Amino acid sequence: MFKYVKKAVEKIDGLALVTGNEKYTDDFSFDKMLYVSVLHSGYAHAQIEELDDSAARKIPGVVEILSYNNVNTILYTTAGQGFPEPSPYDTILFGKTMRFVGDNVCAVAAETKEIADIALKKIKIKYKRLKPLLNFEQSDNSKIIIHKNDGAFPKIPVYYDASKNIAAMVEAEAGDFEKAFGESKNKIEKNFYVSYASHCALEPHAAVSYIDNRGRLVIISTTQVPFHVRRIVSHVAEIPISKIRVIKPRIGGGFGGKQEVLLEPIAALVTWRTKRPAKLVYSRKEVFNSTRTRHQYKTVFKVGFQDNGIITALHLDALENSGAYGSHALTVLSNAGSKTLPLLNKIENLKFTGKGVYTNLPCGGAYRGYGATEAYFGYGQIIDMVCEATNNNIVEYYKKWSIKSGETSPIFKALGEGKEGVAMTITSSSLEECLETGSKEFHWNEKKKLYDSNFNKGKRIKRGVGMAALMQGSAIPEIDMASAYIKMNDDGSFNLNIGATDLGTGSDTILAQIAAEVLDVPVEKFIVTSSDTDFTPFDTGAYASSTTYLTGQAVKKCAENIKEQILKVGAEILGVIQNEVEIENEQVITKPGFADFRKISFAEICNYSFYQNNQFQIQATASHVSPKSPPPFAAHFVEIEVDTFTGIIKVINYVAAVDCGTPINPILAEGQAEGAIVNGISYALVENYYFSEYGKLLNDTFGKYGVYTASDIPPIKVILIDSYEETGPFGAKSISEININGPLPAIANAFFNATGKRLFKSPFTPEDVLKVLKG
Amino acid sequence: MFNENLKWYFPASIPKAVQLIEQPGIILHGGGTRILKTQSRSIIGLVDICNLKLDYIKQKNNLYHVGAAVTFGKVVKFSKENNCLSMLGTALSEAASTPVRNRITIGGSIKDFPLWSNLIAPLIALDAKVEINNGSSKIIPIEEYITSGMIKTKHLVKEIIIPEDEKIIWRIKRFTLLKFEYPIFNIAIKFKFNGSLVHDAAFVITGVKNRFKRFNKAENIFMEKNLSEKLIKQAMKFIEPKFVSDYKYSSAYKEKVAKIIFEDLLLDIAGVKQ
Amino acid sequence: MKIKFNINSKIEELEIRPDATLLNVLRDNGFTEVKCGCSEGECGACIVLIDDKTVNSCQVLAMSAASKKIKTVKGIGTLHNPHLLQKIFASTGADQCGFCSPGMVLSAYSLLKENPNPTEKEIAEALDGNLCRCTGYVKIIEAVRRTAQIMNENLISRE
Repeated sequence: MFKYVKKAVEKIDGLALVTGNEKYTDDFSFDKMLYVSVLHSGYAHAQIEELDDSAARKIPGVVEILSYNNVNTILYTTAGQGFPEPSPYDTILFGKTMRFVGDNVCAVAAETKEIADIALKKIKIKYKRLKPLLNFEQSDNSKIIIHKNDGAFPKIPVYYDASKNIAAMVEAEAGDFEKAFGESKNKIEKNFYVSYASHCALEPHAAVSYIDNRGRLVIISTTQVPFHVRRIVSHVAEIPISKIRVIKPRIGGGFGGKQEVLLEPIAALVTWRTKRPAKLVYSRKEVFNSTRTRHQYKTVFKVGFQDNGIITALHLDALENSGAYGSHALTVLSNAGSKTLPLLNKIENLKFTGKGVYTNLPCGGAYRGYGATEAYFGYGQIIDMVCEATNNNIVEYYKKWSIKSGETSPIFKALGEGKEGVAMTITSSSLEECLETGSKEFHWNEKKKLYDSNFNKGKRIKRGVGMAALMQGSAIPEIDMASAYIKMNDDGSFNLNIGATDLGTGSDTILAQIAAEVLDVPVEKFIVTSSDTDFTPFDTGAYASSTTYLTGQAVKKCAENIKEQILKVGAEILGVIQNEVEIENEQVITKPGFADFRKISFAEICNYSFYQNNQFQIQATASHVSPKSPPPFAAHFVEIEVDTFTGIIKVINYVAAVDCGTPINPILAEGQAEGAIVNGISYALVENYYFSEYGKLLNDTFGKYGVYTASDIPPIKVILIDSYEETGPFGAKSISEININGPLPAIANAFFNATGKRLFKSPFTPEDVLKVLKG
Repeated sequence: MFNENLKWYFPASIPKAVQLIEQPGIILHGGGTRILKTQSRSIIGLVDICNLKLDYIKQKNNLYHVGAAVTFGKVVKFSKENNCLSMLGTALSEAASTPVRNRITIGGSIKDFPLWSNLIAPLIALDAKVEINNGSSKIIPIEEYITSGMIKTKHLVKEIIIPEDEKIIWRIKRFTLLKFEYPIFNIAIKFKFNGSLVHDAAFVITGVKNRFKRFNKAENIFMEKNLSEKLIKQAMKFIEPKFVSDYKYSSAYKEKVAKIIFEDLLLDIAGVKQ
Repeated sequence: MKIKFNINSKIEELEIRPDATLLNVLRDNGFTEVKCGCSEGECGACIVLIDDKTVNSCQVLAMSAASKKIKTVKGIGTLHNPHLLQKIFASTGADQCGFCSPGMVLSAYSLLKENPNPTEKEIAEALDGNLCRCTGYVKIIEAVRRTAQIMNENLISRE
């Protein structure tokens, strides 16, 4: 039994957050601070022939203007990934070629934001407009080449061909798909499309920089990846890593959108050149237009199956619209395969092919779900189609054919992140219980039976139920590294320093819970410092569903080391040998059975180690790299109403049963699931990027884009069903991403249940739904 | 921020305010939401209406007078607490969001009449009038105010005047997918009965081409008749709202759905009436 | 120009531009608990109370708020003396990134003052101006409901 783990501990920053006490990047201001505004391209494709900033420089209060005129041309990727990055080096901070509406033209630093904005308008630019490439299905055959002679190259040895607009390409096969598909009696082949989406983190991207007392550059940033920011800024701004400190204060949501190094190099360059503090905060419109998005995808599924429903062959071919730059192009693409295809691991002939192509549209990037969301839309429907065609109960089907503990999938080894993957055997799964409990809670069988009958016949409002089973991963195996540092203080409190990045998920709290469990100390005795490259040890950052699983394990190792040191000093004070003592309630005590019960408090132990004998600081650091990426699992169930006159789909009930291993903090885990589900529903029904014929985003405000409010959500029930993952801290796996993958396939399946028609393109806007119903 | 040299005026009388806004670049300020949306640099002066004592809702002789400075939020609250102005109160309770409703004023919304307004359709359906002042005071039916082009002239909206009739049966619909989203259209339907016979009717939609449309022909079909399904079918032939396509919806879809909703609402009233 | 404001029951004389929004004036003068998520009145992160009513401070010209009572989230409770709503928000998991929390808490506060016994639907409607992308609103609605219940059971003042 756990004492501090699996407890709904209040977030350690909770009260500070809800009283407005916590500081976010834009809340930091400094004397003599400059305000930075960025000019973005209004054209989707253009060449700057001349940029004349002389008039702007004459405006009183304008201090610095950055453009290709005075910033070196250095290729890099904005993707905040481990080094060498699997994303191509195809980006220049201020280039001459504009590749999408929102691309960087130049930046002005001025005494006030108003002056900076006025100055932007005085910069004279001569553009040569080029024909934009706006249809990603035509990219690789297009005469328009997005990255022509600009030197763009892959940083790692992977296929990349800018001359054909190919930003990424992936292939993997297990068995012989073509042969098995050719021999299949029953075949389904379908195309699926998913749309662009914006993360809509409430806090816009921001960076504030200044020079510290010793001449070093300090960057405060809304980042999920402080260490990658330090490295990438060093590269782009040509400042040594040793001269840069990156701090992530509180951050107002990320969802992958802040795993991107966009603003930091600009603020850094302004500060480095002027030696003055600088602040750059994007407007909401800039966030929509210029930062990163979820990739638009087309997926083609081919499946061959027997009359009893056994699938013998499955091919997923994914076409990804990478946008103007290939940030995360390759890895999102691989994840489209690696996070879906192992789910039904008994399919003997599996094939994945994928291509990421350039267009003159906004850039894709990391977004919660990371390829899996895009692929599950088709995957979850294809399985439903097979079940419907063969009279299989889909819940039972998933129970029977899903990957189980002790089993593996060849896909794990075949598909990695920019290189071969890592073979892995599943060691924890409660998916069968998720399917069982979820379907019971939802009354799946009763509802399915009802809506399969002629319940909907002749009705305008039709009802249906749908479900999907899901998996994701936990961290990137053998690539991502996390570390932790703990030291003991003389009142028995501890400093826990981690490079990990709490973006509102509560990871600071969860990591403290893990340390608390090891050391049997209340959570509030931990002073948590995170995400400061000067004071916290390295961590790849908050992405790939990694922090609880990966950093958690580093914290656990570190705390175990501290525990050993405490036991040693405790035994020394108590005058016994170390294996005769144990820890309990902030004390070292003699073990039961030891004749003479003795105890000593943690505070006394620390004081002893500071001042009395054999003095030393009780402290430890530990690092962790995972040999595997154990998937969390989930079963999602949804009930919908379709108004067949207006085409409006309304979600009326949602149940998700989720296996995240041991939920270190059940309330926070539920919160992750609930947030992801609502985002998933709105992505399925509403969210999209609408472009003008010139490639300009038209719905670039919250009001036009459409974000759910409290009034728009259906009843949602999340049920956590534990499993125990032996490689994770106290059995934990991840939960942050998986649940965004469910609504698309589940709602589409429910739509089929209600109407007998399939939805192949998201979002399911009322007008499109009507077309489907008519067609 | 849009004009560093912006001048503020706080006149204590309507004539003084009207005089001020006759100068170019000087406009009225109620809640300020519209001004902040446009942030036009041509605005050089703002005449705040807070001292004009227009923050009232009064009832006199079956007429409600709602001052220009009254916020949507205040109308909603008044309607609930006093069990009156139910159609308008309900329509405004669905507008924008709670904090925005606490800021948007009746005056500003009348004068600006954005395409997504929740205010205008019920006002037209209720045969509301508007009192304006452009040097002298005039009371004009709201429909005429919009169609005559008066809305575009310089003037101060003093109040709206709404006949309160408990006997009306009404329906409204703000068509959106999400709570906080600009609606595609707003529909307001009003019936007044004399016994079982329709005595008065108003079918109004906003968000269409030319901003709004009232379907008089369809209304006339019901006059002095029983509200029946058959008549509704007949009337629907005359309910042909015309829209402009946008990036989300085609005009054809909007037209189709607006008709469906009109019919839904009419049938709903017919169902209640029977 | 210098203008007097009543912020969290204290009179503050602040230097402002005549076209400044209340949001900018507050943030520029250290009231950074008022957040800026969109500047277009569409997210609710910048909500403050003016004369006890929620408004998006980005949609209010500061001059027009000069003589009014302005309250930020710190005006209803602080880290050391939190309001019950704030305590329950924190203990219910209604806060994730916390960026929407100051506005969300004020909307809930304003609701409970007007309606001590809101239904779930009424809670959701009262929060219709506050976007949150982290929580899916489930725990936020629960936090408001629980606060109302505790206040009613223990006759705690809603102030």
